[in-house]
Amino acid sequence: MLWLYLHFPHLLLDHVRRASQTPGATVIVSGSPAQVRQACPIAQQLGIHPDMRLKTALSLAPEELAVIQPEPNQEQVILEQQASWLYRYAAQVVPHSPDGLLLEAGSLLRLYGSLDSLWHTLEQAVHTRRLTARFATGATPKAARLLAQTSQGVRSQDTTLLTQAIGQLPLAAAELDVKTLERLTRLGLTTLNEVFRLPPKELARRLAPDTLAYVQRIQGTRPDPQHFWQPSHRFHQQVDFVREVEHAQGLLFPLQPMLNELEEDLQWRQADTDRLTLSLTHRDGTTQRLSISRSGPDHRASTFLELTRLRLESCPLASPVTAMALTVTRFIPRRTPSAADLFGETADSREAWQALISRLQARLGEPALQRLTLNADHRPECAWSAAQVHRSETGGALPALAGQFTRPLWLLAAPHPLQQTPEQWLSGPERICSGWWDDNQVQRDYYAVQLPGGQVAWIFRDARGDWFIHGWFG
Amino acid sequence: MSELLNNLIHDARIWQGHQQARTKHPAESTGYPELDQHLGNTGWPVGALSECLLDGAGIGELQLILPLMQRLSAARRTVFWVNPPYIPYAPALSQAGIELSQLVIVRPHGRNDVLWTLENCLRSSVTGLVLAWPGQLANRDTRRLQLAAEAGQTTCLIFRPRQAALQSSPAALRLELTAGQKQDLQVRVLKRRGGWPGQACSLTRE
Repeated sequence: MLWLYLHFPHLLLDHVRRASQTPGATVIVSGSPAQVRQACPIAQQLGIHPDMRLKTALSLAPEELAVIQPEPNQEQVILEQQASWLYRYAAQVVPHSPDGLLLEAGSLLRLYGSLDSLWHTLEQAVHTRRLTARFATGATPKAARLLAQTSQGVRSQDTTLLTQAIGQLPLAAAELDVKTLERLTRLGLTTLNEVFRLPPKELARRLAPDTLAYVQRIQGTRPDPQHFWQPSHRFHQQVDFVREVEHAQGLLFPLQPMLNELEEDLQWRQADTDRLTLSLTHRDGTTQRLSISRSGPDHRASTFLELTRLRLESCPLASPVTAMALTVTRFIPRRTPSAADLFGETADSREAWQALISRLQARLGEPALQRLTLNADHRPECAWSAAQVHRSETGGALPALAGQFTRPLWLLAAPHPLQQTPEQWLSGPERICSGWWDDNQVQRDYYAVQLPGGQVAWIFRDARGDWFIHGWFG
Repeated sequence: MSELLNNLIHDARIWQGHQQARTKHPAESTGYPELDQHLGNTGWPVGALSECLLDGAGIGELQLILPLMQRLSAARRTVFWVNPPYIPYAPALSQAGIELSQLVIVRPHGRNDVLWTLENCLRSSVTGLVLAWPGQLANRDTRRLQLAAEAGQTTCLIFRPRQAALQSSPAALRLELTAGQKQDLQVRVLKRRGGWPGQACSLTRE
């Protein structure tokens, strides 16, 4: 079996830096007293290097050092994001917290042709995501990991070459615990090869059974089962900002690569979506949720970027944003586009319709758009209702109460008291007495009349004898 | 004298007012032959603004556009109502043979949103007709809408108060609507393309 390990030497730093257009000097710190763990090239130029005290670093770059203190599970989340795109290249991926991904390469060689082409494909993928990764192959998962971490990446599928490479690894790079390392060094051992040559029984007796197991796993003489990662059923991407974003415009730049990732993800799932959720985390820890919906399914990044832009324009940020997450849980299987459906509606016109409605909804809000429907009710105000515009559904047979009386084209939202004496009575009375079942009982006599201005109104007299205008014959 | 005139007319050197060239502007018939005739045998201009100037609702202003709406909704073109003053009453529209699924009511708030909505609707290829009650409109805004309607080749009807007749407007067609005494609608042409304005007709209401 051949394993390939991707080691991200400063994943958190890459993750934070790629979200900003002009990244400045950035360091990742942890522990107390705070120590620099990762420093970006700009910070390193200023003389800051890992394992330096934060106080020293701050005095080296007093003005513009962005200090990031990672949340406990942040690295895990970011690593999972990397696993989700790597899964498109390899079926068997194992995340190794906090900064590595292992994949089983033996079964991929036939698919990619050779190890070299697999290697280049992955390098390309890492590069487009603006990440830094070191690769190495190994005969066992542990060997691949150790080799990738010691910058001299081995690219080979020859077992003897791989065994040789791992054997030459200095003990200090073998991730042994401090005590064991010290005892082995005292014995005069410097490379892994020398440890491999020791009799296993003696190694277990003099050191610890666990150390023997670890060494044997590196060697491949003891099984090392791996739990392969399963992609989740939703799409989730998060960016964390070095500097707080105060304007909605500033969110669009980091959103672009996220939407590209989404487009690729949807392409792989052979699905579309019509609803995105954008969670904006504010400085004070509160979260603002924006839901961006489209009236029809789509997968293109450009469409969603445009809708998000409109949505953000209409809804100003409550306070500066420190992190942004994009989540998609609704996946709609793609349908093969047909030239025209039963109603002669082509894909193009449906597409244009959805684009227009989505644009309007994104800027004006979903309730601003309505569609009219009929209800089977005799009360004029209940005989219609407003429905949300969703997709270009073709109206089915609608219920309608056939009546010989004409209805006005305009209905008033609420009846308005009649203040003029009608000049001419055109039709009526039509008695409507209904609604005893839902506490909205009406008893009205409706007439069509001409008012002095020449307007034709639909008026009624209620049970108490008061007169109201309820509509206009427009 | 008459020989001279005949010669001039024969050579087509004199432009004669009553021989107007047929307008080539695309148009949709209004559905009222009498009105069509007054509009140079065309109808509602396509790809241009039309203004209806009226004072109050209930004089038959919707009746005027029912035939057009009916035709467009049957052809599965969307009809947008932007900020209507009252509720378009679905049972009556359905009775008039209009496909309700093709009507979309949009209620934007604020002048900027109204203009933005109108422009977007006008530029889209799915739009058949835009009916708008935009309230106050500056001349600049009307021109913007006119350009949008040209770009999208859509018909747009704007309903404005009658006092707007005093303002000049880039709209291709301006009609003044008033109520007649016998429940009829008096239509007076204030402006039209390729012809003299000033014609008036009376349309009977059902």
